[in-house]
Amino acid sequence: MPATDVDFEREFEELVRDLRVLPTAAPTGVRERVRTLGEPERPRTLHDLLLMFSWRRSLLVLAPVCVLGLVSAAVIHGVLNSGGDSQQTASARQQLDLQAQPEHGGAVGSTTTPAFGALKGAPAAPSLPTPTPGRYQDYEASLTVRVKNVDALHDRTAEATRLARTYGGYVASVDESTNGGSGRSDLVLRIPVNRVEDAYFRLAQLGTVTEQHLSIRDLDQVVRAQRRRIVQLKVQIARIGETLKSSSLPADVRLRLELQRDAAKQELAQVTGSNKATLREASLSRISLTLTSQKAAPTAKGGMSRIERAARDAGSFLAGAGAVLLFVLIVLSPLIVLAMAWILGMRAYRRREERRLLSAA
Amino acid sequence: MKAVNAVTTSWPGLQVDRPTFSAVAESELDAVHRYLLFLTGNRTVAEDLTGETFEKAFRIWRRFDPRRGSPRAWLCGIARTTALDHFRSEERRRRREERYARDLPDAEESALGPGELETALGRLSAAEREVVALRVLLELDGPTAARVLGISTTACSTRLSRALKRLEEMMHDARN
Repeated sequence: MPATDVDFEREFEELVRDLRVLPTAAPTGVRERVRTLGEPERPRTLHDLLLMFSWRRSLLVLAPVCVLGLVSAAVIHGVLNSGGDSQQTASARQQLDLQAQPEHGGAVGSTTTPAFGALKGAPAAPSLPTPTPGRYQDYEASLTVRVKNVDALHDRTAEATRLARTYGGYVASVDESTNGGSGRSDLVLRIPVNRVEDAYFRLAQLGTVTEQHLSIRDLDQVVRAQRRRIVQLKVQIARIGETLKSSSLPADVRLRLELQRDAAKQELAQVTGSNKATLREASLSRISLTLTSQKAAPTAKGGMSRIERAARDAGSFLAGAGAVLLFVLIVLSPLIVLAMAWILGMRAYRRREERRLLSAA
Repeated sequence: MKAVNAVTTSWPGLQVDRPTFSAVAESELDAVHRYLLFLTGNRTVAEDLTGETFEKAFRIWRRFDPRRGSPRAWLCGIARTTALDHFRSEERRRRREERYARDLPDAEESALGPGELETALGRLSAAEREVVALRVLLELDGPTAARVLGISTTACSTRLSRALKRLEEMMHDARN
């Protein structure tokens, strides 16, 4: 049984007493040598503090501090991201898909712009991608605006039709219906493309925008192709006409040429009509406006409160941080294992060497 | 043992009363010498190593933190490292000189004296002598002594008990 602090003093009382009276004081020479050292003058440096640092103890402190810091960052991240636009209604969703693509599968792909900037106040003017000047584009937009009540619905509908005329456009269709305390009004407005942006902003100010969609389709290549075809057909018709003036043509050749000329004329009329329609489409934008007096639907059961969203976002943040940490750990684990093996090996070697030295001494 | 003088360190955030080096050296010199005497079993070597120990301590005095241990334990740690370095260099020297007499007992008298106790001490291993020195002569407690030796408290107690039992047996045999 190993001796404790008190036990060995009691168990080996006489021996301990004898040991303590052995003459083991340092001789005078050594004393003088130590006295001449004096007092160190250099103050502590950062290097000294680092050398004094207990890394084991600091790990015990750092680990919970790091965990706490990570959790705090996750909570802050969750709270900041869950706020959203508090001025919109709970069911408000804004989507903006910007598609710029030629009609016949050109090289330009579709691009999606981010949702409109947060609407501040109700109603507000969202920022719109504007039509590109000098190009033929099919500009289509849809807007859903909520108004206060049925009375306001009727007034806003009238105002929307007036706005269309003010901007040089017209109302393609209006469909207004009311049912008890709620109502809905669907309008299709054709507004000149060069004034669509202003018109859109004014229409958005009729109430609270709850949904919007924008589509831009480039028609430039279509128009060019149509014009090229028109020129080709006119040239073909003119050539056939010149050939037919000759009197020496055989009857069958003449007949074939006449049929070709007729077909070309027919096609010319067709393409010319298409071109006019395309130009008309490009000159006027289409805005589908829906005015509704219905209140926003209450948050569905599956919907989340802000706290729940914050918790979800915080959880995602922690999951992401955990994934990164795990990845780093996996990558560094062989090095860590090697380092630990080296440290343990060095420690064991040093102990063995000490035992050997002390046993040989 | 209390140091006579003390200073307050000027490092920001680390205001602590540290004893002066000279006060500590004066009060712990005999203890360190005693320890090295027991560890090395050679008076001359112990004297040299005592001086070296305090020179080393003088150079790294600013790293001493009184909150982490007593000056005695700190100095004993330095003394032990100094002694082990000495043993290593001695071993290398012997190998270089190819002295066959390495394993033969030293002809000079016991470093501690001619008495029975001193002779018995000389028969203990250096490891046993040093634990006796730390626990019995320097009166360091179990955990502190274990920390200086780099072993567990239990191992330190076991080593001490074994050393004292061997000493007692040798003393008993010598008397009989």
